[in-house]
Amino acid sequence: MKYYKWSDKGEGRKIGKIGNYCLYDKVITEESCEEINISPDVKYYGTFKFVYGPSAGGLLESIKFDITTDGERILNINSIPYKIRKIKVTGLSWEDALLKIERINAPFSISHTIAFLLAIEDAMNIEQDYQTQLKRIALLELERIRNHLFVIARLTETASLSVPTFHLLYLIEETNRLIGKLCGHRYFFGVNYINKVNCNFEKLFKILDIVKEFRLIFEGLLESRIFIDRLQQNGILRDRDSIGPAARAAGLGYDARLELNILPYKEIGFKIVKAEDADAFGRFLVRGYEIIESSKMLIELTDIIKDNTNTKEYKAINDEGEGLARVESPSGDLAYYVKIKEGRVTSAQLLSPSYVNLKSFMKSVKGTIFTDFQFNWESFGIWISEIGVNLE
Amino acid sequence: MKNWWFLRGVRKGILTEKTPKDIAEWSTKIEGKGVVNCPTKAIENGKWIAERCIFCRRCYPNYKPNLNYEISIIKGTQKLFKKSFFLYPIDAGSCGGCNMELKLISSPQYDMTRFGIFFTNTPRHADAIIVMGTLTEKMKEVIKEAYNAMPEPKLVVLLGTCAISGGILGEAIPLEAQVLIPGCPPNPYTILDALIKVKGGKK
Repeated sequence: MKYYKWSDKGEGRKIGKIGNYCLYDKVITEESCEEINISPDVKYYGTFKFVYGPSAGGLLESIKFDITTDGERILNINSIPYKIRKIKVTGLSWEDALLKIERINAPFSISHTIAFLLAIEDAMNIEQDYQTQLKRIALLELERIRNHLFVIARLTETASLSVPTFHLLYLIEETNRLIGKLCGHRYFFGVNYINKVNCNFEKLFKILDIVKEFRLIFEGLLESRIFIDRLQQNGILRDRDSIGPAARAAGLGYDARLELNILPYKEIGFKIVKAEDADAFGRFLVRGYEIIESSKMLIELTDIIKDNTNTKEYKAINDEGEGLARVESPSGDLAYYVKIKEGRVTSAQLLSPSYVNLKSFMKSVKGTIFTDFQFNWESFGIWISEIGVNLE
Repeated sequence: MKNWWFLRGVRKGILTEKTPKDIAEWSTKIEGKGVVNCPTKAIENGKWIAERCIFCRRCYPNYKPNLNYEISIIKGTQKLFKKSFFLYPIDAGSCGGCNMELKLISSPQYDMTRFGIFFTNTPRHADAIIVMGTLTEKMKEVIKEAYNAMPEPKLVVLLGTCAISGGILGEAIPLEAQVLIPGCPPNPYTILDALIKVKGGKK
């Protein structure tokens, strides 16, 4: 493992549970990580339970919340993801496993695929192609822009701001179409391989038109008191165990793009975006400014991605080994730890950002009022599809 | 001026499209010749079976997409829903792709409401239930309850290859469906086309 080393004790920032292990920013340990704890119920005269989900209009995916309240305030909450998928990748070649990995969570498909491929390349000790690494950054940043637009659209929709909601949906669709033009598939399926990215980046500069329009909507939202009031002081979370935009909204400089040299982010002028508010508004700000930062990196990449049709040959030095890689998905750290033998996957463990973010959400939601719940929920950008996965 | 959303909306003009454009090729009909090793057996005896295809490109270059997005299978129409067609989406175990694409048929480019198609937050107000993803254990009862809560007449729409045939990840949804919308995930044009057809409407 060239990106990580085994350690007896955790060092640095704790990221979360990966299979039976605990992942930190530079080491992996056999320590047990903290689990989602089911909090003891609050019971006194006048309290009652309220069930939200598993299938409801406001929820995009299937999850059930058991909420204890005495009228308006959320006193206690438990979450139960309702769609648990068993996905078997062991015994498969990396190519066959990849078909399943890229379908764990379509909105974060690139983050999953690239983290998995980087781990496989690590395990097989493959020399990486620099142009491929640049292309992978381009795809990750496109995915980030699409996802952040979607999260902000969900926030404006929750606030019943129809004009910005539909403008944002328009921009999401335009981003999907641009991705479709570049890669032939709107969610990057069938695009990534070892040392190969099956996309043509000639039209990548068109992302500027989308981000230019977004900036106008973003500026408008920053002056909309009725929108901001729903987000400020809602779901405050200052937690060293948080990741992604939730951590950066609390002023914590947690970002895999900054911490690791797996992908050459530093060479394309990556700048971390942070806020101080630590609430849903802070998370909204981080996502908004990250869209702008990502577009700057993409424009930088249009100049340095030279080869649009490459398929680099690769040579695997090992056909047995273990690899671990982490990338910064739109909602935070995403990592794969894989073992291979005779070119086949013998074990694969996933650390999904939504799993960590669900824990953070549960901490932040207690004490808020029920009408604020949806804003807080959407601000974390959680996908149940990647939480409810048992990789076998 | 920044917060005069209404004026901003008017200034933007009409964004809704009369004819489809910029369709991602790997969500459309696949044609070709030859024997290929398809992981979901979507190509058998040289014939492409849309319900099984996950658009993984393993068959390329023997088989190629032809940009025809009208790949849905309509087994029955219900003209009663011609002017107003309310849909209740339910996620049985999807990867999130179908959820996103279904949401996007409400974007200005497609504007499903011009065809009298709407989402509803409860199965009690729904004309059709749209099921996405593979079947997962806990969702079996939820799907059954939602289906039983719908008033008659009602339709079942299976959205995406996972729901129709299980795709590469699991089990199909065991409901008798009137509409099958293949794709991994289906293109919004394919979804909209199928929904218009099933209610007997015109594009």
